[in-house]
Amino acid sequence: MNWWRFVVANEIRKILAFRSDFWVTFLGQTLVLILIARALWQSIFAANNTEVMEGFTLPMMTLYYIIVPIGNKILTGENVGFLAREIYDGSFNRYLVYPISFFQYKTLTYLTHSVFYALQLVLIYLLFNFFTPEGITLNLLANLAAGVSVFIFASYVFCMLAMAIELISLWADNIWSLMVMVRFFVYFLGGSYMPLNFFPDWAEKILNYTPFPYLVSLPIRTTMGLASSSEIQQGLILLLSWAILFHLMAKLLWHKGESRYSGVGI
Amino acid sequence: MIKVQNLTKTFVSHIKEPGLKGSLKALVKREKKTKEALKSINLEIKQGEIIGLIGANGAGKTTLVKILSGIVHPTSGEATVLGFKPWERQNEYRKQMSLIMGQKAQVWWDLPALDSFLLLKEIYQIPDKIYKNNIEFLADTLMVKDQLRTQVRKLSLGERMKIELMAALLHRPQVIFMDEPTIGLDLSSQRAVREFMKNYQKEFKPITILTSHYMEDIKELCPRVVIIKEGEFVFDGALSQIQRLLGDEKCLSVTTKENTFKVNVPRTELSTKTAEIFKTNEVLDLNIHDPSIEDVIESIMKHGMNPK
Repeated sequence: MNWWRFVVANEIRKILAFRSDFWVTFLGQTLVLILIARALWQSIFAANNTEVMEGFTLPMMTLYYIIVPIGNKILTGENVGFLAREIYDGSFNRYLVYPISFFQYKTLTYLTHSVFYALQLVLIYLLFNFFTPEGITLNLLANLAAGVSVFIFASYVFCMLAMAIELISLWADNIWSLMVMVRFFVYFLGGSYMPLNFFPDWAEKILNYTPFPYLVSLPIRTTMGLASSSEIQQGLILLLSWAILFHLMAKLLWHKGESRYSGVGI
Repeated sequence: MIKVQNLTKTFVSHIKEPGLKGSLKALVKREKKTKEALKSINLEIKQGEIIGLIGANGAGKTTLVKILSGIVHPTSGEATVLGFKPWERQNEYRKQMSLIMGQKAQVWWDLPALDSFLLLKEIYQIPDKIYKNNIEFLADTLMVKDQLRTQVRKLSLGERMKIELMAALLHRPQVIFMDEPTIGLDLSSQRAVREFMKNYQKEFKPITILTSHYMEDIKELCPRVVIIKEGEFVFDGALSQIQRLLGDEKCLSVTTKENTFKVNVPRTELSTKTAEIFKTNEVLDLNIHDPSIEDVIESIMKHGMNPK
């Protein structure tokens, strides 16, 4: 399995291949996010003339909305269409010719991107807390480590889900809209657009039977230190169950699709 | 050895009428169209042999290459390559096989070639010493030593093709499928790739299937030729046999004031036809010669084995 190491190394080289893109993504976006989140929620809290909204203070809400976009990037790793695009343009053929498992290869490249974005999260999180009155504490570092771990695991689960859906393009040429729809549902029902505390109780209860809150809300809440250890443990077990289910789905669709694959491309 | 028996491949595609009306109709109901890309073909290729697979666009060349390289499943029939069923994609088979597609890059565009090669070294589990020797041999022979550290996307088309060749041959495959490896290359790059493949074939003796639209590739590299027309093999034999297929014909190359054209004429009608051409055209030049290999193949591709 030495090739795993080289796949990861190659993927890192690809990320670092474009200097300006790297710095804009890594630092530029981060600073812009802090400024926008702060300005937006400062106005909302002022307009409502309150200091706490659904249990969130202004600094907490700002932090939540700083974590969300980076968290979404961790979750979607190599980005939507990471497999469907290659099937569509024919570059997918290389995984069928090389003596390796394409499942392993694509999972590795996906997770490499997730880890890269996780580093971005670490940086921004530390930067944000450095300027708070409490500063960077051991407890905060522990929350950050736990949050990043949950994020990476959630990203693996989302990778399995994305793989299962994108493999449909082995016989249905274009599934772009389906992927966009799935991403929208994950973001909306997972708590990317607003914390799940803002949802009605009945909706929250129903959502707990879906993977969405564990993909988005759980890792964010863990990072912010808002999730209890039992909540994290239970969440991880549920994520594992979803991962197994999506993995089986992906395998099933692969067996259905590979015999119908025509290998055409641009 | 490659052995193909009654291999058939059928593709199903959807038909859409042109225009907005057609697009709206296709949203509700789509018509299917079935195309037989390969029709019960048979083929045997021995170790060390190189064959040229030629045919018009859409004749089924690439489909056959894709089946034998394991990318696509056949609809029916059997095929074994080195004793393996290609579409089962066993790693023991894939480690001994290589696919080069002139129109599709296999190496990673955003990385220098050496980075891609390092990954391929691990994927194919090539020992350090053999890897170093192969890199040196291939880079020297293909004259791309200075290009190995440049991002592949920044290389010229010819240089990229040479890099693709290196990537495909790093693990010394026993079976090589080359799908139009010289497409789009300038004449000197075409010549360089051809020369390289000629020497490589001589030295390492892999089984090679080459598809190309350039007759120079076929003439230089392939003693045996298979011509495919609409999914069927219409000729399988030595290249030298091809010219004999039109043995009773002569080719007239005519240049008139208006244009230049070629016409194949039975020997018995040569004088009548020549006189007719002189009568109906203002002829500037006229040559009578045996049909070239290109002429014969073009004729076979158009008319099958009864070329006219």
